[in-house]
Amino acid sequence: MESRKRILVVDDEQEITFVLRSGLTKHGYDVRVAGDGEAALDLFHAWTPDLVITDLAMPNMNGLQLCRRLRESSEVPIIILSVKGEEATKIEALDAGADDYLTKPFGMGELLARVRATLRRSPTTVGATAIEEGDFRIDLESREVQVKGKVVHLSPKEFDLLLFFVRNASKVLTHRTLLAKIWGGDYTDQTEYLRVFVRHLRKKIEPDPAKPRYILTEPWVGYRFVPEMQKPDH
Amino acid sequence: MAIAFATGLSLPFRAHVNVTTVALALLLAVLFAAIVFGSKPALAASVLAMLGFNFFFLPPYHTLTIADPQNWVALTAFFVTALAVGQLSARAKRRAEEAEAGRVENRRLYDELREAFDRASEAEAIKRSERLKSALLDAVTHDIRTPLTSIKASATLLLEDRDETENSAKLSEEEQHAILEVIEHSANRLDRFVEGIVDLARIEAGDISLHRNWGAVEDIIDAALAQAEPLTRHHNVRVSVAEELPVIRVDARTVTEVIYTLVDNASKYAPSGTTITIGACRASDDVVAISVADEGPGIPQHAREIAFEKFYRGDSNEIESGRIGIGMGLAIARGIVEAHGGHIWIEDGTSGRGARVVFTVPVGDEEDAQSKSASEARPSGRATSEHHM
Repeated sequence: MESRKRILVVDDEQEITFVLRSGLTKHGYDVRVAGDGEAALDLFHAWTPDLVITDLAMPNMNGLQLCRRLRESSEVPIIILSVKGEEATKIEALDAGADDYLTKPFGMGELLARVRATLRRSPTTVGATAIEEGDFRIDLESREVQVKGKVVHLSPKEFDLLLFFVRNASKVLTHRTLLAKIWGGDYTDQTEYLRVFVRHLRKKIEPDPAKPRYILTEPWVGYRFVPEMQKPDH
Repeated sequence: MAIAFATGLSLPFRAHVNVTTVALALLLAVLFAAIVFGSKPALAASVLAMLGFNFFFLPPYHTLTIADPQNWVALTAFFVTALAVGQLSARAKRRAEEAEAGRVENRRLYDELREAFDRASEAEAIKRSERLKSALLDAVTHDIRTPLTSIKASATLLLEDRDETENSAKLSEEEQHAILEVIEHSANRLDRFVEGIVDLARIEAGDISLHRNWGAVEDIIDAALAQAEPLTRHHNVRVSVAEELPVIRVDARTVTEVIYTLVDNASKYAPSGTTITIGACRASDDVVAISVADEGPGIPQHAREIAFEKFYRGDSNEIESGRIGIGMGLAIARGIVEAHGGHIWIEDGTSGRGARVVFTVPVGDEEDAQSKSASEARPSGRATSEHHM
């Protein structure tokens, strides 16, 4: 049997950490709580969790700073809890390496779904030359892309973008991150350009480009790639 | 014209009047022309004067020739003088006009500058009030959403648990109870926060009405501690009330609020297991001092005054992140204390560790008590007691 995944919850509000701990433990996770950034870092290095959930607004070291510190030494998945109106800080945190975010107030179901998705985030490599994720199969040598078994022809940049999406499935990717990774540092402000590109890519891989199921838009923030068609819920 | 006038005037006196006098009179006329009409007319007047002088007053009369060589000198001197006087006075006049124009221009520029400055400082004030408004908005957003988050997470957890078929994964009775309590506490927090915002708004508007009643200091402290019980579970609470404290005439609800706020702050900043001490003593004949001390990190000297400002947070990130509620609590506490006629300030904690917040309230006197009971006899007294802060 798989060992229980460890989750580190960081928040200065005791009541919310109590509820989060109850909910996560109930679903089979091993949960520890830290009340501030410093304690979180200590606990992180001592306990090596599989996932970190942190609030953005905390005294002394805030969530953004914690993200940065964690990323200095680890690729551990990070989910941030933010409040509507904290957009700028939220985007900064995602740019600084956080994987996903949840907007308060959120339901327990939403949190559990995000946790599952974030923990699952490692694509299966078939041999060393192909990547399979959900409905997608990418052959790195021949640069052939298959969506649900059907071959799709992509331009070089579209291929790069899709590959990056697949490698970072379920993760929220900010405009800046995408532009930087695919086009380089000079283009990080060209959101319109990225939008056009995504539209082209959607036309090629989405069954209904007007209602995207793979490349989801995160309003004001960026995009999230979902490799498998989800059943429409909430 | 003036020349003609001057010349004409002098003619009849030709025989009796010295040529010099005439010359001087003509000079006066040129001067007049220069002052009133400017330099070109002055020039014309000089020429005319010269010609006239020659024609009418220098022998041979009525000709433009001059017989006596001395008169040539006189004429030339006259002409030069006339010219000089004309030009100089014209220039003087022009200078004066320019100076005046300059002054007018200066005044106009000054007015423009002042207008621009007023506009700029208005824009600055608007920007500042926008910043305050957005800080208030952040405060409201955060302090309302935080308890809401607890409520929603708790409720959805309980709901989802009801659908749980796997018995081992179900929440136990105690867990369910604890989660329901979280919902209740969060609702209370929300209520308290909303009240705080309203109080703060009233204090800012100078609109506090206090309902003073005689009460024992111990009772007020006990009420505050009872309310603060959930916050102080992890701390050691000590109450140190002096003997023989007078009863005080205060608005018990609001003074309890002040003590509650101070205890709340102390519990947030002081580490678990440390002691929070509430003290009360008589500061003077008619003043009682109440204090709340903790063993936390303390509050640095330079922050002790601004700690009572609305949005102070005790952090380097001023308004950015973290709990804004604390800042509001102290601002409200100060409002209440000062409305009673007291003072509130921060000191070092016992033996230099932590912080102590002290506030004073006047004991209140019999006179007020008498007038109050008098007003209570009237029916309108009852109506006003319905009006809560």
